Amino acid sequence: MITRDLVLSALFTAIIIVLGLIPPVTLGFIPVPITAQSMGVMLAGTIIGARRGALAYVLLVVLVAVGLPVLSGGRGGLNVLMGPTGGYIIGWILGSFATGYLSERLVRDGQSALLQAAGFFAASVAGGIIVVYAIGMPWVSLMTGTPFSKVIFGSLAFIPGDLLKAAIAILAARAVMVGYPLLPQRA
Amino acid sequence: MLTSLYVEGTSFLHRMSVRAKLAGLMIIGLALFLVANPVALGFALLVTATLYLRLGLGVGEAFRRLRPVLITIAFFGLVNVVVLSPHEALTSTLRLLAILFLAASVTATTTIADFIDTITALLVPLERLGLMKAADGGLAFGLVLRFVPDIALRYAVLKEAHAARGLTLKPQTILGPLIISTLKEADSIAEAIDARGIRGQ
Repeated sequence: MITRDLVLSALFTAIIIVLGLIPPVTLGFIPVPITAQSMGVMLAGTIIGARRGALAYVLLVVLVAVGLPVLSGGRGGLNVLMGPTGGYIIGWILGSFATGYLSERLVRDGQSALLQAAGFFAASVAGGIIVVYAIGMPWVSLMTGTPFSKVIFGSLAFIPGDLLKAAIAILAARAVMVGYPLLPQRA
Repeated sequence: MLTSLYVEGTSFLHRMSVRAKLAGLMIIGLALFLVANPVALGFALLVTATLYLRLGLGVGEAFRRLRPVLITIAFFGLVNVVVLSPHEALTSTLRLLAILFLAASVTATTTIADFIDTITALLVPLERLGLMKAADGGLAFGLVLRFVPDIALRYAVLKEAHAARGLTLKPQTILGPLIISTLKEADSIAEAIDARGIRGQ
């Protein structure tokens, strides 16, 4: 990993923290305001790729662990990691890696805009939704004792919002791919 | 902008080594999952809550810090009353609260510098294996903390640019410019780091 990759990861971590500081916005038809920070996993993977994206999230999780309120709503500290939803936070690391891994393979320079958007969307859904929930949901069930089937059922409510976030993330990923491509040069 | 959750003090936990605190938190956290007796868990909660509240935080601040996690725990407690049984809901809620206060106590009694030193020390074996440089960790954290205020400022500028053009602030119009303008700086930052030989090559 060259210095530039380290710097890109660190800058992305800083971007994710800033996205947590700005007030939540309401998007289209979803009544609940969402925080821009929750798109970070998809953004990190699609924009800086698997290894750098995962490193950005390792840095974020360590900053949470050492007691900086870097998550949206000023959350931070070991109590967040060891709480019922700590699994989602750990899941972000693998989720950004998976998003990046798929983006690097599905999206190339010179593809049509639609094909690039489709590739980013597939990568964001697989990494940013499926992988994150696959780690977060069993953790919730283990920590709280709530049956796994009920946790899955409850989590379904978040899927529409997550798909909308993936749609926004691919717009940003495409903008960066056009304006300042980083994904093709893998770390 | 980012204020640490550390609280000044001289308590027993403040004086303990970071490694001992982290190991203790892990061991006690796991051990509480082996206990299913509400009375024992209630006692554990009493101990950790007393520990946390005696750190000198003040009740308001102590509560404010934990509010998001407390809401989550309360939510799952209510769900469990319905889907499991009141007894099981009580056990899991008491256990989660006990762990919560212990984890928050470790966070409140450890400075960021001590944490980072411990993490760097724990990375040394990885460096011996040739996987990474332990000092890179400290460098990366320094970079993150250094650039958060810069990026927040950049966001404010983009917000004003939106207002000047009568546009409403939407994530889809702000993420692209914010990310591109930030990441474009990576080259000059990396050059500056290498020119100063900070990573020692």
